[in-house]
Amino acid sequence: MRYGGDNRGRLLIIVLVVTTLFLITLDLRGVQVINGLRTGTQTALTPVQKVGSWAVSPLRNFISDVTHLGRTRNQIAKLKDENDKLRLKLQDRKVADAQLAQLKSVLNLAGTAGFKIVNAKVISQGSSTSFTQTITIDAGTSSGIQSNMTVLSGYGLVGVVKYAYANSALVQLASDPSFRIGARIAGSQQIGILSGQGTRKGVLQLLDNTTTVHKGDALLARGSDNGRPFVPGVPIGEVTSVNNSPGAVTQTADVRFYTNFSTLGVVAVVVSGASADPRDALVPPKPHPTPIPTVTIYATPGAVSPSPTATK
Amino acid sequence: MSIRSFLLSSPIFLGVFLFQEAFVTQMRLPAGGFNLLLVVALIWSALSTPEIGALTGFGAGIGMDLSQTSPGPMGHWTLVLIIACYAVAFLGYGDDNIRGNPINIVLLTTIGVFLSQLVFLILGLMLGQHVGSIGNILFLLAGSAFWAAIISPLLLKVISYLHSNIFGSRAQL
Repeated sequence: MRYGGDNRGRLLIIVLVVTTLFLITLDLRGVQVINGLRTGTQTALTPVQKVGSWAVSPLRNFISDVTHLGRTRNQIAKLKDENDKLRLKLQDRKVADAQLAQLKSVLNLAGTAGFKIVNAKVISQGSSTSFTQTITIDAGTSSGIQSNMTVLSGYGLVGVVKYAYANSALVQLASDPSFRIGARIAGSQQIGILSGQGTRKGVLQLLDNTTTVHKGDALLARGSDNGRPFVPGVPIGEVTSVNNSPGAVTQTADVRFYTNFSTLGVVAVVVSGASADPRDALVPPKPHPTPIPTVTIYATPGAVSPSPTATK
Repeated sequence: MSIRSFLLSSPIFLGVFLFQEAFVTQMRLPAGGFNLLLVVALIWSALSTPEIGALTGFGAGIGMDLSQTSPGPMGHWTLVLIIACYAVAFLGYGDDNIRGNPINIVLLTTIGVFLSQLVFLILGLMLGQHVGSIGNILFLLAGSAFWAAIISPLLLKVISYLHSNIFGSRAQL
């Protein structure tokens, strides 16, 4: 028999919906109790997430290997010749090396700019079920991290600290659709606003329509007052295409972020900016093509080819 | 729903919430992955009466709102899940063609996941959130529906067993 509902059922639905609307209203009005609930939950979840990160890492590596099977095929072919024990050691070593390489490059970047940073490991990646792009790191207010601080990788901008808890922090990635940052083009110093699109691609909107932007231009953060939320000079990405619509009010360009957000392992939070703006010092060098020497041999028909003579 | 049923159901959903936050979010699955709490709540509702479905949606929604990755205000997911779980329970209640067939429950859950996220998205837009490009949204919606269709049959037997033991009024699938 099809359910037709009764007064008690309808009353329950009404009570639940009204309660929910009440919660939404309270949260939108900034009532501290609601924020406290989320903060408390995250503080309680941090140790569980750390254990989860440790436990899931072999499975995560396996999924990553399967996902990138085409790219790692050559590497797998080489490793086949090695014995199992060596292969296991190599796997463990690879994880450590990758984190070390990320840490080195982020220290290089921060050192060049003179930023004071706190390093942190990524312990959780936010579910995209809610259409957001976030990560959780294992350092929080106890390490000096506060909300609205810039987060870097070895390649450049990762995002900004959205919420800081006692021993962890939630970072909004630059790829998040609600992410906005003031950017300038290295060299020409033209300024614009870069917004995330949910992928590794961002969209730059130039403020001045008379200026020009070219494919391959590097983008840097303009910076904010007192370096929060953004310290100046951080590399963001590279222009991949320019959209020049004749009737458009402003000029836009597609930008590919330098940071690969799906492979983040170690990041750095800038707790104190540099005393001086690093300007274009952090722009990554463009790859130079390696010259290939060519040899031209001229053959003359009928000529006697010199024969090698033995010399003592 | 008796106090006993509530007390027995709560630890199950708390466990699912912890598992989701501690393990599922770490896996970095392709196509956006899945939300275990959402899938479990919808299957649980599909096996329940509409009132219990609404209460399940309320509890699971609070859990999803407490998640650090929830971008909206507290109550955003709760509102969506009350409606979704009530609708799923309402559609299946009293209809043995749906309730008695695991394939129909999986189908109902998959459609439920897709529509819940769509409603969540629309509600988010109304509350002024940014949602990104259309292509990315469609990719994530398709991805979560795909994962729901994969995960639901694996969970159905366990959830059906727990549900029938707690509520005791219905035959186990």
